[in-house]
Amino acid sequence: MPRPAPVMIPSFSRPNSRVAIRSSLSYQSDIASVLYETLREFDPPVRGKTVLLKPNFVGSDPLGMTNTHPVVVGAAREAFLRLGASLVLIGEGPAMDRDTQAVIESILLREYLGPLSKIFVDLNVDDVERVGLRTRASRLKELYFPKTILGADFLVSMPKMKTHHWAGVTLSLKNMFGVVPGSCYGWPKNILHWAGIDRAILDINAAVRPDFAIVDGIIGMEGNGPIQGASKSCGVLVLGDDPVAVDSSCARIMGLRPEKIDYLERASTLLGHIQPEKISQLGETIESVRTPFAVLKAFQYLRQGSE
Amino acid sequence: MRSAFVESICLAYLLGAQNEDGGWGFHEGSASRAEPTAWALIALVEFASTPAHEEASSRAVQFLGAAQLSDGSWPSTPQMVEGSWVTSLACLALLGRKEFSQNVARGIGWLCMELPGEAKLFRRVVRSVMAKRTQSTQNDSYFGWSWTRGTASWVEPTSYAILLLRNAPPELLSGDAKRRLGIGETMLYDRMCPGGGWNCGNPMVYGVPGEPQMSSTAWALLALIEHPERPEIQESLAWLEGNTKSIQSPGSLSLAAIAMNAYGRRDPLLTDSLRAMYEAKEIFWNVPEVAWAALATGGAPNWLNPKSGGKS
Repeated sequence: MPRPAPVMIPSFSRPNSRVAIRSSLSYQSDIASVLYETLREFDPPVRGKTVLLKPNFVGSDPLGMTNTHPVVVGAAREAFLRLGASLVLIGEGPAMDRDTQAVIESILLREYLGPLSKIFVDLNVDDVERVGLRTRASRLKELYFPKTILGADFLVSMPKMKTHHWAGVTLSLKNMFGVVPGSCYGWPKNILHWAGIDRAILDINAAVRPDFAIVDGIIGMEGNGPIQGASKSCGVLVLGDDPVAVDSSCARIMGLRPEKIDYLERASTLLGHIQPEKISQLGETIESVRTPFAVLKAFQYLRQGSE
Repeated sequence: MRSAFVESICLAYLLGAQNEDGGWGFHEGSASRAEPTAWALIALVEFASTPAHEEASSRAVQFLGAAQLSDGSWPSTPQMVEGSWVTSLACLALLGRKEFSQNVARGIGWLCMELPGEAKLFRRVVRSVMAKRTQSTQNDSYFGWSWTRGTASWVEPTSYAILLLRNAPPELLSGDAKRRLGIGETMLYDRMCPGGGWNCGNPMVYGVPGEPQMSSTAWALLALIEHPERPEIQESLAWLEGNTKSIQSPGSLSLAAIAMNAYGRRDPLLTDSLRAMYEAKEIFWNVPEVAWAALATGGAPNWLNPKSGGKS
């Protein structure tokens, strides 16, 4: 059954959001236990439900800085199953290459998760359904979304912590570009760029409303991200029940001011919280893990006063 | 020429995956769309030899004809009311069918009228004013075709349109077709990655060269097949050949083989690898990719030259 239409609750009337930071991690750590224990604290309503994990898979990544690491995706899948989810799917619609299997093979996903045919959904070529965009932040009036996304009970955005050469940063909100199907809009999904990236991010997230976010910041990318930047070791996983709050916390960890990031500032009026006083921080503090990321000259203004 | 692989794997899958309405979705059991239908039809026509193949083709043709919008274009999904890149593929699949020649002519007419966003006057003025702030090196006076209306030119949709315009009979071409084809070819050369090959259309961003991709390179090479002597083509073929061993997916492998076959550089190892992938490995079955696998392994490519070898 499709997810019910999201209820728009202005941020000022939302309860505080919760964000957890786990630090000192590498991809050799026991990430499955870390995620399970942390998710237990959140007690997400997934028992008997279908969970869809939406990672960020772009392509070949020998330095582990471009894609959500498969070990994190596998650990999240295991954790949600332990929490009682009846089915945990992984769905992605790569933006730059229509050969999704080539992307999946290049990052060795099968080696971490086993057979994929029953758990992986290529969102680019899924059946689609029209959704009217109620926020109308961009000039788009409607978008077609994969039925798997609309039918999932619990949607988890699982991005990589990266800078982005058009949007400043790409985290759990920008990651949702990957749910827009290439079979409707092409590779890349250029209609979103022409509509305005920042505003399209808002429209997409308002339409599909990810329920949770898990950011892979163990190794991230700085500079000319999201593909051609440099590796940045940060050692953190950031989780939370409000993707806007999670992204804001990540921006602060990266040494950037979330209120200066256009789409995050806009999202704070409707989708979630960016103000620190509205975010209950679990685990490590932002200050203890802050690792300034280099940004392109065009985004230096994001850093002002953030230290 | 048909192989047991084409017969027992590719055509069997395609026949089994056709929907009641005559179209195909991207997977068996999914809703019919014009793009997978076009590819399945192209493969079926190339290898049709039984009444079942002919009947399936006939139903597919009817589906495609009915899916055309009143302006002559095809949408990427039936609920949409705007045309898209799929127009080139639908026309390509219908080429040579005399009863649909007017559908193809209208599709070509739409394509030739359709300008990508960067070719429109306002955008060109804005870009010329902001040229110093441009983050890429591309020349916007060269334009091709976009994925969706009003957005920018990209390598794949431009390649599809060029393939169509080059193969369509002259009587179906609108007046602007030759000019658009020429500008489109120039755009593809302009978007080639340094050292050969293509990605989706960003050869350089912030001064950093983009990495070529297998599928975009194959499509661009097929679109530019009339210039085999040009150094850009030779460089790109060398890139393609040098990277085939690293291909791990049937889609890219099929497209690489189709492109190399078209340039007379058939590599039996590629088609052997492709067969092995379908026979032994867990893969994501996908209608266009199965159609490409048939076209890659099945011999003479009539579909790349329908004027001389196409069926009616």
